[in-house]
Amino acid sequence: MTITIALPSKGRMKDDSSAILERAGLKITAIGSDRSYRGRVEGRDDIEIAYLSASEIAREIGNGTVDFGVTGEDLVREDLSNVDTRVEFCARLGFGHADVVVAVPEIWLDVDSMADLGDVASEFRARHGRRLAIATKYWRLTQQFFSRQHGIQLYRIVESLGATEGAPAAGQADIIVDITSTGSTLKANHLKILTDGIILRSEACFVRARKAEHEGDAVVQEIVSRVKTALG
Amino acid sequence: MPLIDMPEFSGELLDEFAARKTMRVNTPVIQPAAPFLDMAGEDLRRRIFLTESETGESLCLRPEFTIPVCLRHIETATGTPKRYAYLGEVFRQRRKGGNEFYQAGIEDLGDSDVAAADARAIGDAFGILNRLLPGQTLSARLGDQKVFEAVIAALGLPLGWQKRLVQAFGDTAQLDALLESLVSPKPMTGLDARVAGLLATGEEKVLVDYIDSVMQETGYSTNASRAPQEIARRLREKLALAATRLPDDSFQLLKQFLSLQAPLSEASKTLSDFAEKAKLKLGAALADFDARVAALANGGVDLGSVTYGAAFGRPLDYYTGLVFEITQEGQTAVLAGGGRFDRLMTLLGAKDTIPAVGFSLWLDRIEAARTSA
Repeated sequence: MTITIALPSKGRMKDDSSAILERAGLKITAIGSDRSYRGRVEGRDDIEIAYLSASEIAREIGNGTVDFGVTGEDLVREDLSNVDTRVEFCARLGFGHADVVVAVPEIWLDVDSMADLGDVASEFRARHGRRLAIATKYWRLTQQFFSRQHGIQLYRIVESLGATEGAPAAGQADIIVDITSTGSTLKANHLKILTDGIILRSEACFVRARKAEHEGDAVVQEIVSRVKTALG
Repeated sequence: MPLIDMPEFSGELLDEFAARKTMRVNTPVIQPAAPFLDMAGEDLRRRIFLTESETGESLCLRPEFTIPVCLRHIETATGTPKRYAYLGEVFRQRRKGGNEFYQAGIEDLGDSDVAAADARAIGDAFGILNRLLPGQTLSARLGDQKVFEAVIAALGLPLGWQKRLVQAFGDTAQLDALLESLVSPKPMTGLDARVAGLLATGEEKVLVDYIDSVMQETGYSTNASRAPQEIARRLREKLALAATRLPDDSFQLLKQFLSLQAPLSEASKTLSDFAEKAKLKLGAALADFDARVAALANGGVDLGSVTYGAAFGRPLDYYTGLVFEITQEGQTAVLAGGGRFDRLMTLLGAKDTIPAVGFSLWLDRIEAARTSA
C-alpha cells in the first residue's frame, strides 16, 4: 500500500509543512519541476506527496482519498460532519494560527457576550422585521456554536466568500463569524470580538483519515510517530 | 391523488378529517426556504433539502406542513375561522428512518375560544390515533408556556429577564444555565470610561448623540440595522440588570415550579397549591388552564392519560401556550405532536393576529405501531 500525504500547494503553509516533514526524516523531492503537484519522499517508495489547496485537503481526507494531510483545523471542522469519527488530529503543528470568532460592530456598546447577542437576536425580528443576519463562510461552525452551544436559534446565515469584515458596514449582514489572526482587520472595520465569542482556536494540523486499512499498518504508525517526535 | 405508497390507513385518516369538519388542502412540495429558516432557525438548514432556483432564490423540499398551510391561508385570504387538514409527503434528513415520509395533521386557525380550540386539537389527535391504533393505550404529555410566563411575571422579575427566560423555556439545559447566571450575575464589562461616564449621567440623549456621532465617523450609519436609540436603551437595561441578582427564594420557587408533574386530572390543584404556597397570583393563566382541562373532560379525553409537565415547552418564539405529544404508553416515539402558535401567522405576514392551534401525525411511526401490536 502506498501512503499519500496531502500538503498545501503554495505559500508559507507549503514551506512550513515541508520543513516539518523534513525534520521528521521525510525529506520531500519534487517530481519533475518544483511547480509539479506531485512529490515523493527521499528513499521511500511507499509514501507519496500530493499538493492540493488547503480546503480540498480537508475534503479529500474526509473522503479517504488521501491518508494524511496538513491543513487548518478550521477547514477540517467546517467541511466534515461527524469530524471526530472520520479523521484523527495527530498533531498540532504550531503554524497557521488563526481563531474563528464572532465579531459585532464596535458601536454595539451593549453587546459584549453571546448572552447579549442572544437577547438582541430574540428581539431582532420584532424590531427590524427580519432575523439577525450573520455573514460567514463557516456555516457548520456557526450553527454548532450558536444553536447547540448557546441555544441561539433566531438568526440567518448570509454566505460570504471574502471580505467578510466589510459585511456589517455594507449592510449585507449585522455581524460576522470569520477567521482572524491578529485582529487588525476586524479593528480596521470597527468590529469587536465577543468576550466568549471564540469558536475555535485553529492552527495547521497533521490529520489522518480514519481508514480501516490503517489498522496495524506499520508505515502509518511510523509516519505518525516520526511527525510527533519531530515536534518534540 | 393516487394512493400508491401512501400509508395503507390513509383512507381511514381522510374519513376522520372529513368527519372532523376540516378542509383538506395540499401545498407545493417545493417551497421557498426562507420562511422555514426564519421561523425554525438556522439549525433547520442541516435537516432540510435545499436547492436554488435559476434566479438564485433558496428553495427546499417541504419539511413540514404548518408553515405552507399558514402561508396558503394568508395568500388566499379567505378569512377565519378555518380548519385545514393535510396529508402528504415531507422531506427531512433524519438520523432514524427515511428521509421522505408521510405526515398528516390539522391546523385550526382563527378560533378565539382558546380553551375549546386547544381541547379540540388534543381530542382530535387522540380520536384519530384511537381509530388507527384500536385497543392500544395512549398517553400524552402536556405543557403550557402561559403558566410559566405567569409565574415569572408574578415573581416580579425584570422584563429583560422575563424575555430571556421565556426564550429558553422548553430547553432544559439552557434554562438551567440561565437561572444559574441570574443568581450570580457578572458585573458589566467591556465599557470604556467615556461611555461609562455618559451612562452615569443618566441622560439618554447624550448617550444617543455619542453613539450616533461614532456611527457617522466610522461610516457605519448608512446601513446600521440597530439605531443609536436601540443600543442606548438596551445598554441602560443591561446596566440595571447587572446591578440586580435573582433572589434565592425566587430561584428556589422557579426550580420547584419547573419540576412540577401531575396527571391532568390533578394538575389544576397542583398548580393552585403551588401558587398559594408561593403566594403568587397566577390569575388568568390558571383560569385558562382550568378552562382547557374542563373542555378536555367535556370532550371525553381521559385526563388520567395526560401528564402535565411544568417545564415542557418548545424554545421557538412563535409557540405561545399549549404544547402536547402523544405516544403509546411506555414508549418514546411521538405519534402526534402539536401546540398553539398564536404568533406564527403575523410572523408569516398576516395583518391581524390569528389564534392558531394544530398538530401533526407521524404516519411512519403510526404504521410501525400498527404492525407491532
